[in-house]
Amino acid sequence: MTQPNATDSQAYINRVRAEIEAEAETRRRRDPELQRQEREIERAWIEVAPPGAAGSQGELLLDRADRLSMIDVDAPLGTKPGIRQLKGSIRKGVYWYLRYVTDQVNALNNVLTRLLRRFDERISSLEDAAAVADVGGLVDPVPEPDGAVADTVASILADHAGRVVVLGCGSGVLVRPLHDAGVAVHGVDVDALAILPGVRSGLDLRAGEPASHLAAARAGEFGAVVAAGFVEDLGPAAAQRVVEQAIAAVGNGTVVIATGDPADRDVIDRELRVGRGLSPATWAYLFGRTGATVDLVETADPRLRTLVVARLA
Amino acid sequence: MAPVSAVRVHQFTASLSTRDAVSHHTLEVDTLLRQLGYETEIFAQHVHPDLRSRGRDYRDHDGLDADVLLYQASTGSPVADYLLGRNEPLVIDYHNLTPAALFEPWEPHISAELDFGRRQLARLARRASQGLADSRFNADELEAAGLDDVVVAPVLFEPPPLRPFTSAHVGEPPTLLFVGRLSPNKCQEDLISATAALRSWIPDVRLKLIGGTSSHRYEAALRDHAVRVCPGGVEFAGSVSETDLADAYAAADVFVCLSEHEGFCVPVIESMAAGTPVVAYAATVLPETIGDAGILLDDKSPTNVAVALERVLTDCELRAWLVEQGQARATTFSPESSRIRMRKALSAAIDRCV
Repeated sequence: MTQPNATDSQAYINRVRAEIEAEAETRRRRDPELQRQEREIERAWIEVAPPGAAGSQGELLLDRADRLSMIDVDAPLGTKPGIRQLKGSIRKGVYWYLRYVTDQVNALNNVLTRLLRRFDERISSLEDAAAVADVGGLVDPVPEPDGAVADTVASILADHAGRVVVLGCGSGVLVRPLHDAGVAVHGVDVDALAILPGVRSGLDLRAGEPASHLAAARAGEFGAVVAAGFVEDLGPAAAQRVVEQAIAAVGNGTVVIATGDPADRDVIDRELRVGRGLSPATWAYLFGRTGATVDLVETADPRLRTLVVARLA
Repeated sequence: MAPVSAVRVHQFTASLSTRDAVSHHTLEVDTLLRQLGYETEIFAQHVHPDLRSRGRDYRDHDGLDADVLLYQASTGSPVADYLLGRNEPLVIDYHNLTPAALFEPWEPHISAELDFGRRQLARLARRASQGLADSRFNADELEAAGLDDVVVAPVLFEPPPLRPFTSAHVGEPPTLLFVGRLSPNKCQEDLISATAALRSWIPDVRLKLIGGTSSHRYEAALRDHAVRVCPGGVEFAGSVSETDLADAYAAADVFVCLSEHEGFCVPVIESMAAGTPVVAYAATVLPETIGDAGILLDDKSPTNVAVALERVLTDCELRAWLVEQGQARATTFSPESSRIRMRKALSAAIDRCV
């Protein structure tokens, strides 16, 4: 590794960050023991932290709620003779009343925790029915756009004011021509390994959830939002959220949606892919409802034949 | 405009104590105001006995006249209610409030105080004429609370005296350092978890936690967690002297901060000044404070942090680069340049009020 000069310090540190993310991901995939260890560490903290302070592992919290739901009316007795006698008399004095009250509280807690368990089982069965977790790896990930799409996007946004973000950037195919044209642009993709080559070649690509990145954007933060890859599998509700958040994030700017048409998918892809996805025409309809000026721009890519370009100005 | 020497600027804070960043800042601002020729005094709800010569109880202010009131806002306090009842122009210097939700499971009473502080801030922001904030992040919060005119002016702090950088790798186990109170918003449990993960690859790595405690319940849980996942690998050093702090920075291999919420994070700059590389979770103000001079992580899962720490501990070129960048970054927050910027911001804010 050569030490960078001051002018490319940001590119250098971005590259290091991407390499770290990718290395962590590689180690997790390579070593199942590492994942087990992470779960153990998280579990250890959940066990000592109060409810609500740690973790999102519902099952662990349910176990904890189960244990805490039973109030024990028997106060522990000390071993020193005086204290033991004192506590013994206090216990006799209040036992009859506390027992009556705690029996009722325990019964309520018991019903509530059983109810929570039932909810948990029901959610699990719904997840199983949707089979979201299981089918993720059965079909190939959506391929990246080709250079023709990238050039088309770059020509659409060439003279655009403000920063451009490419959500679902993969290795940076859509980012490269914009970067080369001097546009302030960065990409976001959930796959830390996929972005690594692009980062190493000097692009500003960041590992992260594209939808969360968009949701966290300030109003008018970007001049343009380009969404690719992750938008291919979105259902109507999630797509509508993307439309609303993208419009807020660009203010008077432009949103470009690069997605294939679900009708073009082969039967296996259509049946096994997690989400069905929306066609460019439907995306155009969603943006059109907001008052944006929408164009459908043809490209030479046989899969991404049409780009949806929504202008908010 | 009245002559500068006639302008009375009365400064208020919730607490004036020793070894407290906002108190130190308040005292430094007091000195600056005097240098600028203003007539000034400090008023607080709690004044540490060692600082009685520098500050008075805020209730003593009743009956005094001022031209400008300056409030150092960092928590909920009756001082703010007192200021809301005054008529003089008010300048808020905002140091941020920890979100109440982070304290709620641990210390509900602190959470209630913080929540109260947020509501006070909204009222103060509507009442104030000018705002100062020690980061853009804090300025944005103050503007969101309703104050339009907020200027970013640095927090004034005195870094501990520099010690010669000692390569702690030679014969010593690698040491990770965090400086800050044991507090739920600072997420020391994540530091312990990351250290536990890193021990899979560097078994003798140690974590040193410097700072007092904001919650005994939280501290007890941290100690339990350390015993379970990282036995013998975590040192709870508590509050330490300036000299010991300087030694700790010099001896540390990496400063690591995984806080969920920070308003500025002075220790990051102190460690950079001391030549200690910084690895941090990219939350709230930390990207702004660190800039490109440290490793910022978007994911603080134990494995991710451990990989980053391992990289900094083993990649000599990266380490040298981080040290160099960190020291350059720290100079932008040096006491001299910070005082110059604060002096300018203060006099501009006060001039606009009188």
